[in-house]
Amino acid sequence: MRKVILILTVFFFIAGLISASETWAQKEKGKPKLLRLTFYYPVGVAGPLARVIGEMTDKFNKENEGRVEVVPVYSGDYDPTMQKVQTAIMAGNPPDIFMVEISELPTLLAMNAVLPLDDYIKKVEKGYWEDFFAPFRENAVIGGKIYGVPFQRSTPVLYWNKEAFKATGLDPEKPPKTWDELKDYATKLTVKDKQWGVTISGGWNDWLFEAFVRQNGSFLISPDGLKANFDSKEAIEALDFWVELKHRLKVGPPHSTWGSTPPDFVGGRTAMLYHSTGILTFLKRSAKFDFGVTFMPQKKTFGAAVGGANLMIAKKIPKERQEAAWKYIEWMSNVKNTAEWSVASGYVAVRNSAYDDPVMKEHMSKNPEYLVARDQLKFANGKMMAKNFQKVREILKRQLDDSAAGNIVPAEAMKIAQKEIQAVIK
Amino acid sequence: MRRTFRLTTYGYLFPGLFFMGIFTFIPVFMSAYLSLFKWNINNPEPHFTWFSNYIEVFKAPLFWLVLRNNLIYAFTTIPLSMSLALFLAILINQKMGWIRSLYRGSLFYPTMIPMVAAAMLWVWIFNPGLGIFNYYLGFLGFPKIEWLYDMRYALMGIIIMSIWKNFGYYMLIFLAGLQGIPSHYYEAAAIEGATGWKQFRYITFPMLAPATLFVFIVAIISSFQVFDQVFVMTQGGPGDRTNVLVFYIYQHAFRFWDLGMGSTLTTLFILGLLVAIWLVFRVIGRRVYYEV
Amino acid sequence: MKFNRHLRNKSGLHLILMVVSLITVAPYFWILSTSLKYRTEVFTPTPKWIPWPINIQNYLEVFQMAPFHLYLINTIIVVTGILAVQLVTITLAAYVFSRKNFWGKEFFFFLFLIQMMIPIHATFLPNFLTLKRFDLLNTRVAMMLPFFASGYGTFLLRQAFRQIPRALEDAAVIDGCGGLRFLWHVLVPLAKPTLIAFSIISIVSHWNDYLWPLIVTDTPDVRTLTIGLGMFVQQESGADWTLLMAATAFVTAPMLIFFLVFQKKFVQSFMLSGMKG
Repeated sequence: MRKVILILTVFFFIAGLISASETWAQKEKGKPKLLRLTFYYPVGVAGPLARVIGEMTDKFNKENEGRVEVVPVYSGDYDPTMQKVQTAIMAGNPPDIFMVEISELPTLLAMNAVLPLDDYIKKVEKGYWEDFFAPFRENAVIGGKIYGVPFQRSTPVLYWNKEAFKATGLDPEKPPKTWDELKDYATKLTVKDKQWGVTISGGWNDWLFEAFVRQNGSFLISPDGLKANFDSKEAIEALDFWVELKHRLKVGPPHSTWGSTPPDFVGGRTAMLYHSTGILTFLKRSAKFDFGVTFMPQKKTFGAAVGGANLMIAKKIPKERQEAAWKYIEWMSNVKNTAEWSVASGYVAVRNSAYDDPVMKEHMSKNPEYLVARDQLKFANGKMMAKNFQKVREILKRQLDDSAAGNIVPAEAMKIAQKEIQAVIK
Repeated sequence: MRRTFRLTTYGYLFPGLFFMGIFTFIPVFMSAYLSLFKWNINNPEPHFTWFSNYIEVFKAPLFWLVLRNNLIYAFTTIPLSMSLALFLAILINQKMGWIRSLYRGSLFYPTMIPMVAAAMLWVWIFNPGLGIFNYYLGFLGFPKIEWLYDMRYALMGIIIMSIWKNFGYYMLIFLAGLQGIPSHYYEAAAIEGATGWKQFRYITFPMLAPATLFVFIVAIISSFQVFDQVFVMTQGGPGDRTNVLVFYIYQHAFRFWDLGMGSTLTTLFILGLLVAIWLVFRVIGRRVYYEV
Repeated sequence: MKFNRHLRNKSGLHLILMVVSLITVAPYFWILSTSLKYRTEVFTPTPKWIPWPINIQNYLEVFQMAPFHLYLINTIIVVTGILAVQLVTITLAAYVFSRKNFWGKEFFFFLFLIQMMIPIHATFLPNFLTLKRFDLLNTRVAMMLPFFASGYGTFLLRQAFRQIPRALEDAAVIDGCGGLRFLWHVLVPLAKPTLIAFSIISIVSHWNDYLWPLIVTDTPDVRTLTIGLGMFVQQESGADWTLLMAATAFVTAPMLIFFLVFQKKFVQSFMLSGMKG
C-alpha cells in the first residue's frame, strides 16, 4: 500500500508540475480587455535591428496604452521566420501580425492564412498606397487584392573596393556599367589565391540570379506565379555568364554563403561584391578602405528584383484583433516611421515621401551611397513568387551551384529547373 | 525467479513509459500512419494514397544524393574518430603524472561545447581567406581550399569539424576500457615474451571489445542524426552536397510543409537506423563479451 | 629530475600528445582572441593570436543587444527541470528492470532501448502539436517534456543496480525494508557514481539542445543560451565576428568553467557512460 502511495505522489508531483506551468502560461497570456498581439518578424541584414523594432513598437504601445499591446518576436532570418509562421498557422495559433519574405505570399494564400487589406487601405489618407514605390507594391498584390504592406525592403547592389581598383590601375571612381566591363574588370582584379575579381554571393543566389535574368530582359516566373520560365534563352545566357565568371575564367568563387561574403569583402578577399543593400551599414562600420556602391551592371538594361519582407495580418483571428493589427501596420508604415526605420537599418525607405522627411534628408546628404538602391528601383521589378517557394528556391539553387562547379551545362540545368519547378508550382 | 503480474511493478515503469509513449512512440506511429497520405501545400486536406510517397522518395535523385552524403559522412567520421580516439587513449593511458589531465582536458573539452557554438566557430575558422585553417594548411604546402564554399570540400569541412567535436568522448570511453584491463595480463604476456603489437593484438584489442562496440553504436547513431552543424554551417549547400538525412527530413517537414513526405522520410529513417544497429549487434555483438 | 628522465624516455609520446592537444585547443583560443579584438583588427592577412589593444566592449555590446543573462537563467531552469524528473523516472524503471521479473519485461525493456535510438528530430512535429493542444508552447516546460523519460539513463542505471549483490536485497527484505525503501536506502546510495555520471551527461547534452527549443519558443523571456546564440548569429548575418565570438565565448563559458573545476568528476562520469558492464 505504501508503495502505491509513493508512486502516486510521484505522479501528482509531475502532473502538478505540468498544470502549474500551464496555468502560469495562461496567466502570461490573458490579461483581460487589453488586446495583446504577437508580431513575428525577421531581420535579414547585419546589425542590432531587433532593438530598433522593439523601440519603435514601444512607442506604439505607449500611444495605445490600455488598448493594444504589440509584442514583437524576433524569429531569426527569413527562412526560420517563415518556418515559425507556418508552424504556428498549422497549429492553429497564428501570430496576429507577421513579416515574411515577399515570395512566400502565394504559399501563405494556399494555406488560407493572410487577410486582404484593401478595405483598410481604402480608409487611410488618399495616396497612401500609391506612395509606396511601385516595384515594392508588386509583391503585395495577387489577383487584384492587396495582402501586405511593404516595410523591410531592399534590392541587390554592386559594391566595389576602390583601393583594389587603384592597385590594378583601374579608375577607382568608375565601377563597371555592363556585363562585359564587369568581366573585364573582374579578370584584371583577380589575384590568384589572394583576391577574387567579383563575388556573386551565395545563399540567396537565386535572388541575384533573377536580377541577372532581368538585366537580360526576361523573367523567371510569370507574375501570377503559375508559369515557370527558367529555360528561356535569356535565363540560359545569364547562367552561362555566371559560369563564365565562376568556372571558366575563375574570377569569382563558384559558391559562397550569404553571411560570409561581406566579411570577405571587408577582408579584401574580393574586389567587387553582389549583395543586398542591407549590408551597407555593416560595410561602412568595418571596412578600413574606401569603397563604392552602384547599380548592378546591365546587359540589355539595368535590372533587379526587389527583396525583403512585407507586413501582413493573419486571416483566422477575431475581427477586433485584425483591426488592432492594422492600426499597428498603418502606424509602422507612416512616413515618419518608414524614414526612421530606413535611417536606422540601411534598408530602402519604402515610401516616396519618406525621402522628404527632414531626418532622412539629413542622413542622405551625409551618406549619399544609401540613395543608390532607391535610384535603382527605377529599373527594378517585383521578385518572382509562387506556391511552395521554399522548394522552388532549393531546386533553382541546386542547379545554379551545380552549373557554377561545371558539373552541368547551363541549358541542361535550366531545363531541369524548369521541369521540376513547374511541377511544384502547378 | 518467477514471472509475476503485480500492478506496483508496472506502476514503477509507468512514469517512464508515459512520457516515452507520448513523446516518442505515438509520434513514431503517427509518422508511419501519415506516411501513407498526401498532405502538403497543394493538398491541404490529407488524402490516402497507399505507398505513393515511398515510391516518390525512391524516385527522387536528391534522396539518393542525400543518402550518399550521409553514408560518406558515416564512413569517414566513424573510423577516423574511432581510431584517433583509440590511439590517443592508448597514449594517454601511459604513466605520465599530472600532465595527463592537461592532455585529457584539452582533447575532451569540445564535447562540452554546444554544437551550435562549435559550428559557428568553425565557420569562422574555415573562412577561405581570413580563417586560420587555410592559413596554417598553407604552411604545410596545401593549396588554398574554399572549404565550406566549395562543392567538393564542404562535406569534408563538416566531417573535420565533427571529428574534432566528437573524438574526445570516444577517447574517454576507450580510456575507461583500458583502465579496466588488469595489469597482470600484460605482466604475464611480458613473461611470455609478447610485446608491443602482440600485446595490443591479443590483450588490449579483445579486452576493449565492449567499449569498442559501445563507441561504434554511439557513433552510428550520432552520424545519422547529424544536423546542427549542417544547419548552422551550410544549410545543406552548396548544391545539396552537405544535405544529410535529418536535414532533408527537416526541409520537408518544416520548410516545404510536405507533411506526408516528411513522415515518409522519418519512417524510412527510423527503420534504416534500427536495421543498421541490429546488423551491428548481429555481426559484431555476438563476438563480444558483454554482459547485458 | 625524475620527470626530466621521464620526458626523455617518452619524448615521442609527449610530442604527439602536445601537437594534438594544441590543435584541439587552438580553436577555442581563437574564439577568445577574436572576441577581444576591435572590429577592424579582425581582418588581417596573418592570424593575430594576442589581441592588442584589448577590447572588452564587445562583451558589453553583446549584452546590450540580447538578454544573455536571462538566457542563462532559463537554461539552468530547463536543464535542472529535465534532470529532476529524469532521475525519478529512470530510477523507478531501472529498479524493476534489474530486480523484478514480470510479464512483458523484455518487451518493455526493448521499448526503452529503442527510445535511445530514435532521434528527437523525428518526433518534432507531433510533439509540437501535442504541446499546442495543452497550451504549453513558449514555456520552459515545453522544452523539457520530451526528455523526461530516458532510455539511456534507464539502461545505464539498470547496469549499476545489477552490480549490487542480490544478497543485500534478501537481507533488507528480512529487515522489513522492501520495495521503494530498499530502492531509496540501499540501491540509490550504492549507485551514486552512476547517478552522478548520468546527471552530468544529461546536463551537458541538454545544455546544448538547439532545434527543439528553437521550435517551441517565441520570446526571449523563456529562450535558452543556444537559441539566444542562434538568433544572435542570424541577426548579425554571420558578419560581425568580434560580437559573434564574444557571444559564443559567453555561451560556452559556464560549461567549460564547470569542466575545468570538476575535471575529474566529469571525466569519470563520461567514462562511466560507456555502460561497461
